[in-house]
Amino acid sequence: MNQWEVFVMDVAELAEGQDLELTIRTLNPGVQKYTYKRVRAQVSSSLDQFADQLQVRLGRGQLSKARFSIRVIEEIQRCPAKYL
Amino acid sequence: MSKISAPRSNREFVEACIKSGDAVRIKQEVDWDNEAGAIVRRVCELGQAAPFMENIKDYPGFSYFGAPLSTYRRMAISLGMDPASTLPEIGKEYLKRTNSEPIAPVTIDRKDAPCKENILLGDDVDLCKLPVPLVHDGDGGRYVGTWHAVVTKHPVRGDVNWGMYRQMMWDGRTMSGAVFPFSDLGKALTEYYLPRGEGCPFATAIGLSPLAAMAACAPSPIPEPELVGMLSGEPARLVKCETNDLEVPADAEIILEGVILPDYKVEEGPFGEYTGYRTSPRDFRVTFRVNAITYRNNATMTISNMGTPQDEGQMLRSFSLGLELEKLLRSQGIPITGVYMHPRSTHHMMIVGVKPTYAGVASQIAHLAFGSKLGPWFHMVMVVDDKTDIYNWDEVYHAFCTRCHPANGIHIYKNTVGTPLYPFATPHERKYSIGSKVLFDCLWPVDWDPVNDVPTTVSFKNVYSQEIQDRVAGNWTAYGYPPVK
Ligand SMILES: Cc1cc2nc3c(=O)[nH]c(=O)nc-3n(C[C@H](O)[C@H](O)[C@H](O)COP(=O)(O)O)c2cc1C
Repeated sequence: MNQWEVFVMDVAELAEGQDLELTIRTLNPGVQKYTYKRVRAQVSSSLDQFADQLQVRLGRGQLSKARFSIRVIEEIQRCPAKYL
Repeated sequence: MSKISAPRSNREFVEACIKSGDAVRIKQEVDWDNEAGAIVRRVCELGQAAPFMENIKDYPGFSYFGAPLSTYRRMAISLGMDPASTLPEIGKEYLKRTNSEPIAPVTIDRKDAPCKENILLGDDVDLCKLPVPLVHDGDGGRYVGTWHAVVTKHPVRGDVNWGMYRQMMWDGRTMSGAVFPFSDLGKALTEYYLPRGEGCPFATAIGLSPLAAMAACAPSPIPEPELVGMLSGEPARLVKCETNDLEVPADAEIILEGVILPDYKVEEGPFGEYTGYRTSPRDFRVTFRVNAITYRNNATMTISNMGTPQDEGQMLRSFSLGLELEKLLRSQGIPITGVYMHPRSTHHMMIVGVKPTYAGVASQIAHLAFGSKLGPWFHMVMVVDDKTDIYNWDEVYHAFCTRCHPANGIHIYKNTVGTPLYPFATPHERKYSIGSKVLFDCLWPVDWDPVNDVPTTVSFKNVYSQEIQDRVAGNWTAYGYPPVK
């Protein structure tokens, strides 16, 4: 199980049952903690729907009470290939 | 100029601070995830000794030095002065040195440069190998650059810029930062690199000598490598980067080299800021791709933790903004007595003392201050007369509350340059960096009759003859009062 975190202005941005494009950061312990990825993912407010867990922070870093489970479908690379 | 013996590296500075009791060694393990940040924050709020943390979880061999210049004592040490020097003494020394002849830097051989002791290139480059701290819980990321210099060169004019612009680790190769469009780097990006779609080479130097860091965040027109020379009385030692033509301070602890990307942006923030709040919105900001990391053996990462007063965001910036304004106003021949920014104003209020010899001098000062390169960083100018001690808040506050006419003395300027960091600004103003400013003119108007219209200050010093003052002061203990210091 992986722990992820996302920043949103409004929890309603995390619509259930849809493919979403999100910037999420890992909360797994270790030196990679808090590094980001851009992903296509689905979220659910039912915490056992997907294996990974997602917690939510709002505009100024406040931790939201809302919790989700998340399935990362694929990583999206936005950075132009010439820089990779 | 007499020989200056200022610390030439962060290491010499840490040693000097430990010796004078202005830094403490923390030997127990400290977590990079919040704990180190919380230590630095508490140190700032209590005004205590700077923490030198020698044992960082997950990062053996690295250390942290926090709150480097969050007290005037440490500022004095950084300048090679007696730690007990007063603020006006430190200010006078800064003005003397920065008005002296520029001292050009020297370039040294890479084999003599401590920052080249370890070199990571290609697939080895990974910011996660450095102890990048999560400074405040809830920040948008771990911040690599909180006390550092981002080194760039203007592509046409060729002048070198060192600026302290915060940098967040996005992933192991990518950072994003708040480079505001009115800053030197912001202008080079918007005027040149972005329209051409060209990458801008950069190097970030972390763990600088305190005077190099002071130069990187000083709003001075003097190129920073020369400014460091003037502040320290000897040439700054630079060394060429591994992957671009920039030169970096050879004694810095850690160097990151790379390119600012013209066509790719990632999110940055939110972050705890010098105003004491997390204000500026998370946004897609200037994005840095890292291509090389070099660092000293047992490298120390420096951490500034900005928040409520007082940290170096307030102490040092108030200091240098105030003194740079003083230089500007003097260069224009304005009869000022001095300029002071109270650190607790989070560098939002300039207090200017002036001899009010002509009408409109307060407004002239405000126009120069707000219209200068310093202007985006503060929104209040308070002008008091030459008899008011600008360093004494009780006197300044008394002048403000009694002499500033509510209708005639308060002047508001709308649609000025702003930043996204102003807590009072509307969300729209923050998004577009729209500012507004205010002048508090606390001078008696020059068209009032000085004898019959200007109120007399009723104070011990002002209304009694010298003879009475001396008699009362001389008899003070005889009256039964404790001696006055
Ligand atoms: C701890 C600290 C952090 C700072 N962070 C930023 C920042 O993120 N962005 C910025 O534009 N200025 C920041 N500043 C202020 C700049 O360092 C300062 O304006 C400096 O003069 C920039 O140079 P320039 O305006 O000549 O480009 C910071 C200052 C300090 C002391």
